[in-house]
Amino acid sequence: MGGAAQRGARLRATCSRVARVALHSLLLAAVALFFLNFNLLGTASPSRRFSQDLVYAWFGDEAWLYPRAGATGHEHEPAAHRVVVVMLDERALALRDARWPVPLQFHAQFLAELEVLRPRAIMLDFLLIDPAPQPDICELLAVGARLRKDGIPLYLAVTNGAELASLDAAGCRDIAGRPLRAAQVFTPVSVQRQVDASDFVSRRYPFEQRAEGSAPGSGLASAAVRIYCELTPQPADCLERLTAATPIDAGFELAWTPAGDAFNQRWSHVRCNESISPVRAILNQPALPRESACPPVATLFGAALLSPEQDPALGAGNEDLFALADGAFLMVGGNFRGSGDLVTTPLHTLLPGVYYHAVALENLLAFKGEPKVRKEYRRPRLAFYGYDLLVLWILAAIFQWRQRLVQRVHPLDRSPFQLSEEARSWIAPLIARCPTPVWILAVAALLLLLSAFGALQLIAVAVIVLGMIAVELRVAPRTEIRKRLIGLVLYFGAMTLSLGVIALAIWIGYRWLRLPPGDWLGYFSFVAFGFFVAHTAIVEFGRRIDELNVARKAGRGTE
Amino acid sequence: MIKRWLLLICGALAAVVTAAQTLSTSPTGAACQRPDNRVLGPRTSDRPLPLLSGDAARGFHPACTVAWRTISPGNEALPVKACFRGSLLQIPNDSACGSGTGPLWVSSRWVMTSAELDKPAVRAATCQQLDTGAWAGTRAFDFDCVPQKRELKGSSQPPAESSAHAPANGASPSLEPTRATGKPARPAHANDGAARGAREPTPADAAAAVPPQGQPH
Repeated sequence: MGGAAQRGARLRATCSRVARVALHSLLLAAVALFFLNFNLLGTASPSRRFSQDLVYAWFGDEAWLYPRAGATGHEHEPAAHRVVVVMLDERALALRDARWPVPLQFHAQFLAELEVLRPRAIMLDFLLIDPAPQPDICELLAVGARLRKDGIPLYLAVTNGAELASLDAAGCRDIAGRPLRAAQVFTPVSVQRQVDASDFVSRRYPFEQRAEGSAPGSGLASAAVRIYCELTPQPADCLERLTAATPIDAGFELAWTPAGDAFNQRWSHVRCNESISPVRAILNQPALPRESACPPVATLFGAALLSPEQDPALGAGNEDLFALADGAFLMVGGNFRGSGDLVTTPLHTLLPGVYYHAVALENLLAFKGEPKVRKEYRRPRLAFYGYDLLVLWILAAIFQWRQRLVQRVHPLDRSPFQLSEEARSWIAPLIARCPTPVWILAVAALLLLLSAFGALQLIAVAVIVLGMIAVELRVAPRTEIRKRLIGLVLYFGAMTLSLGVIALAIWIGYRWLRLPPGDWLGYFSFVAFGFFVAHTAIVEFGRRIDELNVARKAGRGTE
Repeated sequence: MIKRWLLLICGALAAVVTAAQTLSTSPTGAACQRPDNRVLGPRTSDRPLPLLSGDAARGFHPACTVAWRTISPGNEALPVKACFRGSLLQIPNDSACGSGTGPLWVSSRWVMTSAELDKPAVRAATCQQLDTGAWAGTRAFDFDCVPQKRELKGSSQPPAESSAHAPANGASPSLEPTRATGKPARPAHANDGAARGAREPTPADAAAAVPPQGQPH
C-alpha cells in the first residue's frame, strides 16, 4: 500500500516536473519566436531575405530544393516542361529593317517564324500600346489566329484588361469575313512586378493584378500563373486556388538557381556553371554570385532565329533548335538599351524583365503549381506562426534537456564555452600588470582594427579560441577539463539532435506547408547561440515566478 | 629619292585603304548575294515553311506557310533571286500563297543554300550578351564581347570575336544603325543574281556535304 502511494507520488512529481519543463520550454520558444520576427523599422527583413538568397545560392542547383528541369540529380523533364526565353534586341530588329519600339509588323513576322518551332505556348512580353497602321494590326491578328488554330496559345502582356480593345478598333476580319477580335487571338496577362521594399529585389511573383478593395481572384492573372493554369485539367480551379490570397500584394516566392542554363554557354562569354561555395561566406568573402551575364533560363536570341549566320551551330537541319524549342514555352522579351525593362534578381542581379516571368513559370512547373508563399500571405496566419512556435518549442526542450545534463555534471551550470574560474584567475593578474587605461585602450584599439578590417576577424577568432584552449589546458585541473569535455560532447549531441529536428521542420515546412527558406538560418542561429541569451534572461525569471507561486500556495496551505 | 619614298608610302597607304574597304564591304549576308546562290532544300524537319511577301521598301508581311514541295514540286533547287540582310531569301515563286502576293521570301534559317555549303564549318555561335548593366550616364556605348578560348576549341573558323562585331545587316557597315548615333538603317539592296550552274544540287547533297556541327565547347 505504502509502495503504491510512493509510486503515485513519484509519478505525480515526474508529471509535475515534465509539465514545468514543457512550460519553461514554451516560454523560451515564444521569446525565440518573438525575436525571430522582431522587425522594428523593417531592420530584420534584409537579413531574412539575405538568408534566403544564401540558401538558393548554395543549394539552388539541388533537386531537393528546386526540382526544376536540369537540376542536379533530377531526371530531365520532358521538353514540354521547358521554358525558353526568346530575346529580341537591336540586332534582331535590324535583320528585318525594324527599330525600337518593336513594330507590330515585326511581331507578326516573328510569330510566323516561331510557328515553325511548334512551341507549346508563346508569351509576348511587349506592351502593344503604340499606335499602329490598321493593316499591321490585322496582319498580327491573322498570324495569331493561325497559331491558335494550330493549338499554340498566345499570351500578351497588358497593363489592364481593356487594353486589347485598342487592337479591336482596327475592325479586322478573317479570310471568311468574320470579325477578328484580339481576345480571340491573345490571352491578356499581367506583367506587373513585385519588389521587396527593403532592397528592391524581385523575389516574389504576384498571383494577379487587381485594384485596391477588389475581391481576390477578380483581377488579371499574372503571366506565369495564367500560362501554368491553362496547362492543368481545370484551369478555372487552378486560377481560383492560386489567386485566393487576400492581401493585395500577395505573391509567391521565386526559387532561383545560381547557375546559368547550359544551353546559354553557346553564346555567353562568361561561364554558365559557376557555383558559390558556402566556405566563401565563412571566409568573409562575397557569398552571393556576382552579376552574371549567363541567365538561368535557356535563351535563344531573336537574331539567331532569323539568321543562321548569327548562330550557325544550331545544327545542319536545325536539330538543336528544334530540340530546344519544340513543345517548350516560349517567352518572347526584349533586351534594348534604354528600355528600362530590367529586373533586379537575388542571384543574377539585373536581367531583362522577361526572365522574371520565365523563372516564375519554371517555379510553378517545378513545384507542380504549389509554389512557396511567405507566412504573412497565408491564411490562417496564426497557424503558420504556430508551426514555427512548435518547432522552436521542441528545440527549446532539447536545449533545456542539455542544460539539465550539464548541470548534473557541473552544478554551476556553465556554458561549455565559458572560461573556467582557474583560467580567469590566471588571465586576470596577467592583464592586471598593465595599468587599467593601457589595457582598456589596447582592447579598444584591437576591436577597432577588427571592426575595420573584416579579413582579420576570422583570424582573431581562431587565435582567441586556440589561446583560450591552451590556457584552459595549462591551468584548469583535470576534473574541470573532463567536465568541460563532457559539456562539449553534450553541446554537440544536442546540436546534432536539434539539427535533425530543424531538417525535419524544414522538410515539412518547405514540402508540405510551402514555406520559403527565409527562416531557416534563423532556426540555426537560435539553436547555436540564441537560446543561451534568452535562457538566462527569461527562464530564470520564469523559475523565480514559479517558486514564488509555489511558496504562495504553500503559505495558503499552512494558514 | 624623296619622291620615290613618297610614292612608296602612297602605294602602301592605297593598299591598306583598299584592303580595309574590301573588309568593310564584306558584310554579313554577302555570301547569300552570290549570283549562283541556290536554295537546296528545307531544314525544318518536314514542318511547313513560313513565307513572306513584300519588299525592303514597303516592309515584309507574313503570307502563308507551305510545305517545301509546294514551292519546289520536283524537289529541285531554287535560284535565290534576292537577299535581304542575309536573313531573307527571295524565291522565284509568287503564287504559293495565292495570287497578288508578289514575290515571296523565306527565312534563311529554314532553308539550306549552296552559299552556305561553300563556307567552312562553324562550330561556335556568335557571341551574344545581355544588356544587364545599370549606367548612371549615357548607355550609348558598346561592350567588347570576347568568347572564352575554350568555347572555340576545335573550331575551324577564326575566333567568333570577329563575327561578334560584324554588322547584323546585309548593308555596308556604314549604313548599319549604330547605338552611338541612333541613325536609322537604310534598306539593303536586293540582289537580282540569276541562278546558274551546270548541275542542280539537291537537299540530299546538302545534307551529305555539311559536316557535323558540334557544340562550341
